[in-house]
Amino acid sequence: MGEGGSQDPNDKAREEFFSEAQELIDGLGRDLLAIDEALKGGIVPPDAINDVFRGVHTLKGLTGVFGAGRMAGLSHELEDLLDDVRLGRVPMGSPVLDLLFQSVSLYVRLLAVESGAATDPVLELDDLLTALGQYSHKKPGSRPGSGAQYDLDPSIFGVLTEYEEHRLRSNIQEGIALYRIRVLFPLATIDSALENLKTRAKPLGEIVTYLPTGSSTGVDTIELDILMASRASIGELRAALASAGVTVDAVPKRTSSSAPIPVTPTTPIAGPAAPSESPHSAATTAMPARMEPSSQREAAAVPPGEVPSVPAAAAAPTGHRGSQGPAASRQELSLRSVVQTVRVDIRKLDRLMTIVGELAIVRTALSRLAERSRAGTGDPRELLIELGRLHRAFERHLSQMQSGILEVRMVPLGQAFDKLGRIVRQISRVHGKLVNLVVTGAETEIDKLIVEELSDPLMHMIRNAIDHGIESSDERVHAGKPAAGTIALNAFQKGNQVVLEVEDDGHGMDRDKILSVAIERGMLTPDEARDLSTRDVLSLVFLPGFTTKGEATDLSGRGVGLDVVRTNISKLGGVIDVTSEIGIGTKMTITLPITLAIINVLLVDVSGRLFAIPLANVTEAIVLDEHQVRTVETREMLSIRGASLPICRIASLFGIPRRNRVQPRSFVVITELGERRLGFVVDEVLGQQDIVIKPLGKSLKAVRGFAGATELGDQRLVLVIDAAELIDEVLASGETRLFALAGGHHASALQARGGEA
Amino acid sequence: MAALTKMAAERRALRRTGDGGKRIEHLALSLAGEKYAVPIAHVGEILRLPPITEVPRAPRDVLGVISVRGRLVTVVDLRRRLGVQEAPFDGKTRILLSDVGLAESIGLIVDEVHQVWRFAADEIEAASVLGGEPPAHIAGLGRPAGGNGEVFVILNLRPILAAL
Repeated sequence: MGEGGSQDPNDKAREEFFSEAQELIDGLGRDLLAIDEALKGGIVPPDAINDVFRGVHTLKGLTGVFGAGRMAGLSHELEDLLDDVRLGRVPMGSPVLDLLFQSVSLYVRLLAVESGAATDPVLELDDLLTALGQYSHKKPGSRPGSGAQYDLDPSIFGVLTEYEEHRLRSNIQEGIALYRIRVLFPLATIDSALENLKTRAKPLGEIVTYLPTGSSTGVDTIELDILMASRASIGELRAALASAGVTVDAVPKRTSSSAPIPVTPTTPIAGPAAPSESPHSAATTAMPARMEPSSQREAAAVPPGEVPSVPAAAAAPTGHRGSQGPAASRQELSLRSVVQTVRVDIRKLDRLMTIVGELAIVRTALSRLAERSRAGTGDPRELLIELGRLHRAFERHLSQMQSGILEVRMVPLGQAFDKLGRIVRQISRVHGKLVNLVVTGAETEIDKLIVEELSDPLMHMIRNAIDHGIESSDERVHAGKPAAGTIALNAFQKGNQVVLEVEDDGHGMDRDKILSVAIERGMLTPDEARDLSTRDVLSLVFLPGFTTKGEATDLSGRGVGLDVVRTNISKLGGVIDVTSEIGIGTKMTITLPITLAIINVLLVDVSGRLFAIPLANVTEAIVLDEHQVRTVETREMLSIRGASLPICRIASLFGIPRRNRVQPRSFVVITELGERRLGFVVDEVLGQQDIVIKPLGKSLKAVRGFAGATELGDQRLVLVIDAAELIDEVLASGETRLFALAGGHHASALQARGGEA
Repeated sequence: MAALTKMAAERRALRRTGDGGKRIEHLALSLAGEKYAVPIAHVGEILRLPPITEVPRAPRDVLGVISVRGRLVTVVDLRRRLGVQEAPFDGKTRILLSDVGLAESIGLIVDEVHQVWRFAADEIEAASVLGGEPPAHIAGLGRPAGGNGEVFVILNLRPILAAL
């Protein structure tokens, strides 16, 4: 339960820390995926690497400030590795990328530890730090040969940062032409003008560095030499960058390997002519940066506010760390983020504010009306009409408010999908399968709560698809399919529901295999099996304990099966369905309500107490015919339409004392959770209502069976029954009933006291 | 209303002890005939008893939940919590909403709420005067100079609420 105004500022700061750290970590994951994509195409993207570097750096600062020591430590090591990568001292490739992806997962877990939500992954952190440390050892001692084939002033190398030098070299190695762009900027607008130029130059190539020429151009202008690598022709560059004061020249390639000669100075097209000074002396005079070249240049190379500190050389990776790789056995990881905040588009809030304004107008009108009625002036009928009008206005604004707030709760599903990309990569690599994840509909919006609760089920489904669905590359090629498997994750809105599909193009589910496993495990008899439709057979995979793989792998089959997925989806009020075709693939479809905030419930009365049962779980309500009740093994069963339905009397389950008066008849509210059904016996069914559900406080977390409570119009609170949890509980064991009876004892004592209040 | 009660109590307390010194404000309350005091900083609000919705299967100390301006608050019977003789509620029964920096504000049912006392440091005796190992929820004993020899058991709400 959040504490409105009286919140401890420390708590608030911590919350902000978590939300910011989470965002940074998510961002890292996205950047790494982008790098992965680029690497597949044979490109090493310097921008993305820089983004990751900056992200880790920011995270280091953030975690350091908040005393999250181990996250800061990890960031520190990572920063070293990334610095080496972006300087080209360590090549960016799969091994490094694997480490980086591992780091992201570990960040997620460490963050969860900080929030007290997970156990400490000490061993894995040590392993990862060891692996990272090994990279720091591998640094080549000297720099690779310089780009001497270019006619560059050697003094330039003196002022380039190591990073710029690396970029210059790699561009030269890739055979990309170098250009010198000389620009004259008015000092007053240099920031925006430079930014503008950079934006225009960006699509054409990479700006390696820019240096002031030092030409005495006047007191309020400055001349810069921009060194740019581009595959574009000089004509294209000139066309793109042409404006007053810009000259573009190619840096000539040296024809022989003779000693570097000074570059012929270029003359600007416009602006005060620069005195013919040699660039050498220009660079010298213009370079206060010479004193501290690296800090100055770094500052120019990254946006302000994110100036990376230049890490102390090698950052002392300690001694001989063991050579074992990253821990092979990873703990079951959860993708659920620890953050409870929603970032909201300010325009959405503005709309809400407007509605509040409208409501204020209604209030003013109401108080005027109240005054008039008190004074007894005016025609009563006229007052009534006015009251009706205000009531309608109020109703309209309230419903606008409601939908506006629901909108604020909505977040794009992409938030959950981003993390899945990471998982797909990780799992497919561990498993040695080639898998592409194709996502559509990431912009589909759904309640923040649902997005959080969806992460884990989706992760299991995707694991399942990779582990059980997608074949090995050899098998796929043999079957005439592309070597890389595809998992499609589609999301779209359908009325008041959101549909999510996880579709793989693997080998599909084998009806006979599923049946033989189910029979082997005693889930059904061969006779029963004969009568099942294909759809029924496929849905067997959602039963607890079902797995067709002979043994559990690292990925799935560890008890966290599809039954858990289905239970979780059911708890969200959704349903899951599966279709499959041999050799073509498998598709799992989840249908979910868009929001959990407002749910439709059935109000029931048990011995004078009200409870609400979410209608999403209710199939029907019938009058209880006591003659049809049989007791089987302490469990009561109701025969209904020739089938048995286990029933549970809420009064005895919750230990509510019976009323003295004779109950003429009772009702059975039949609920369903996946394949399991349970009837709740109640005294009366009062009707349906839309409610806003509020969670019970932390202190009542241990109390099972309630999803929360809601306020009815008359200030009364009504507990909302968590049907899924109760079905689990009641059908799992008979013992709970005894427990509930024991609990009933004090409940009756309480009742007595409450009555005297 | 509750806020008004609190402010009025504070004003009364201010009038009595003129000096501003290093005095700490405590809210005096009764429970099973004993006088207790709680640092006023730990009390967010004082409420009259609203209808309480019982939560089946909740721990024995928990009476149920109430709604305070749309927020669900768990209500704990302080008599049960401290293991003293139970008694029926009456018109003087109040709920203190705790504010001890925990994630959740808990409502504590007390028999009666009195005035605010401002204890100077030398008016508080350490809990150790009780001898033995004093329970964690007893922070000390308050003996205000103007209190006609009355003794208040100063409660530390954190241990009382943290174990919920």
